[in-house]
Amino acid sequence: MDSTNLERNLYLTLLLMEMEKPMVIALNMFDEFEKSGYKIDLDKFRKYLGVDVVPTVATKDKGLKELIDKAIKVAKSKKQYRKMEYRLLFDKFIENEIDGLVEKLKKEELPNKYPLRWLAIKLIEKDEYVIQILKKEIGKDISPLAKEHIMAIEERFDDDTETILTEARYGIINGILKDVLKKPKNYNIPFTEKLDKIVTNKYLGLPIFFALMYIVFKLTFDGSGPFIDWVDGFINGYIGKYVGLAFSSAPHWIKSLVIDGIIGGVGLVLSFVPLMMFIYFFLALLEESGYMSRAAFVLDKIMHSIGLNGKSFIPMILGFGCNVPAIYATRALENEKDRKLTAVLVPFMSCGARLPIYALFTSVFFVKYQASIVLLMYVLGIIVAIGVGLLLKNTKPFETAKSPLLLELPPYRIPSAKMLFSSTWIRTRSFLKKAGSIILLAMVVLWAVINLPSGSSPDNSYLAKAAKTVAPIFAPTGFDRWQTVASILPGVIAKESVVGALGQTLGVEEKSEKEKASFIEDSREQILGLTRAVIDSFKNMFGSLTPGVFEIESISNSTFSQKIKSVFTPLSAFSYMVFMLLFIPCIVTLAAIKQEFGWGLMFFEIGLLTVIPYIVSTVIYQGGRLLGFH
Amino acid sequence: MKLSELKENQMARVVKIDNSLKSLKKRLSDLGFVKGEEIEIKRIAPLGDPIEISLKGYSLSLRKKEAEKIEVEKI
Repeated sequence: MDSTNLERNLYLTLLLMEMEKPMVIALNMFDEFEKSGYKIDLDKFRKYLGVDVVPTVATKDKGLKELIDKAIKVAKSKKQYRKMEYRLLFDKFIENEIDGLVEKLKKEELPNKYPLRWLAIKLIEKDEYVIQILKKEIGKDISPLAKEHIMAIEERFDDDTETILTEARYGIINGILKDVLKKPKNYNIPFTEKLDKIVTNKYLGLPIFFALMYIVFKLTFDGSGPFIDWVDGFINGYIGKYVGLAFSSAPHWIKSLVIDGIIGGVGLVLSFVPLMMFIYFFLALLEESGYMSRAAFVLDKIMHSIGLNGKSFIPMILGFGCNVPAIYATRALENEKDRKLTAVLVPFMSCGARLPIYALFTSVFFVKYQASIVLLMYVLGIIVAIGVGLLLKNTKPFETAKSPLLLELPPYRIPSAKMLFSSTWIRTRSFLKKAGSIILLAMVVLWAVINLPSGSSPDNSYLAKAAKTVAPIFAPTGFDRWQTVASILPGVIAKESVVGALGQTLGVEEKSEKEKASFIEDSREQILGLTRAVIDSFKNMFGSLTPGVFEIESISNSTFSQKIKSVFTPLSAFSYMVFMLLFIPCIVTLAAIKQEFGWGLMFFEIGLLTVIPYIVSTVIYQGGRLLGFH
Repeated sequence: MKLSELKENQMARVVKIDNSLKSLKKRLSDLGFVKGEEIEIKRIAPLGDPIEISLKGYSLSLRKKEAEKIEVEKI
């Protein structure tokens, strides 16, 4: 437990001790405890608790060996293995009632894994969870046995038993601590006090939050960008090229499956690794330092209005860079329903990958208002998110409106580098393992749909045929040509592929450079590329003020622009952009949702992110026509 | 008076917690809001809600809606 906050931490320890499981207590952060002037009589403390207590400093590996040795010893001593003697008794009157109930429980046939005294306490506390579990295990509700004892205690102390027992536990804790703990005269933490006066200040609190978010956003996306490009080039350009050469005599479809499907999929997964590492590093920094709770404190009121809590703000902001790390960032939220609702709303934040689509259409149709139209997309995403949040916050699975905010504000601490890096690594590895396999599988399926039958022209593939059949459904949205409908599915792989897919279905030829193969030269180029990525990453992070994610590259291919004009009108182009803004962002985001919340929420999200864009695009197109646009 | 009515830097003692929401009452008392506990309003968030309370040697933030359920007396 946290030794700097014994009174509060002992409460949980007491609950665990009531379960009579053998244990050893680690008094962690003992260095901080001693530094702030606390003194504890460990021998007396051990005697009171009847449990061994080891002071530790986990960040500095202090006391850990002793702790593990003692834990093994306790686990091995057979006498104590199943049961621990419990010494911290309640008031005599309460103990009598507990004993009375224990006698009654002895006559029942109960699973012997539960200590009877603990069961009696839980029944007296009317603990719903325990009552339900028991009902399931013995097929009978034994809570009526406790009724008479509950009434006796409640009459005597004039409150409900839950509160009485809680107060009694805190009473026991205070009794022990009075005897063993010497508090320093001034035991509040001056550094935290001072910093909080600034960070949560009435006028400075919000500006400081936004400034910090801006810095985290910029460092994450600009710092990881060059590495993402390098990984992409390394897998698709370098590995893909040589695997392609190895398969040069294989049939075209096998070569395409291996290079576009499998290697493309691996490349997609791996290209997220730099981004995940950056984001996890900064998230760990925010959490471990203690700032995350302050951010929640400062922003709670805003987010609570749409059924979220203050901590949801951070995933939302990260979503503007990339939805995938934003989904994982919901882990900072304690309440499962808050987490779910946040994850459901994240995809409405327009991520960096959607920009090329906006860039293409605005440079064809809205050259004069390019920046305003792009900004409008971001705002529209936020508005839809607020609307969906308001709709969902009172529904059963999300019901966040009712969950209270009970948030501990820990003292600020300087996180240890070891802690930051291990947290970064563990989370990134879990992304690779769990999301990686789903993404790879989906990539192969999508490859098959888009590229088969083999050797067919773009308007003969299964995708084109399906698009031609489905196209009429899209009539209300204004973009019901098969070419435009067919470009939606590749958007599920990654939003960047939409522009390329449109080019393909519209028959725009891509410039392809003749490939020269020199393995040694290419390998050297890859290593040089990595060094350049490191340098660029630093340059990006500290060289300029604006985040590079928001840079719009204009498309200046005139044949492409002509072809776009042949299938879109300005209004249907706008409707298409809105559809792409609100549609499933990419399969990696879906895989992230599956990993964090399971299949159910993932399918819900797929449904939501198909229906909502369809409705909104339809409203925009039909409304626009009524207003005289075309 | 209610905890939500206190101003910044005021000290108070917990009298009782509203019985209407059982699960909330249990959680609040688990967190240390027990009869007689001395607490201090440390600060109110920039937008007026939530509030930060210091009790049992640690700091806890809760919304005014929940703070309304806690009956206190000023000290």
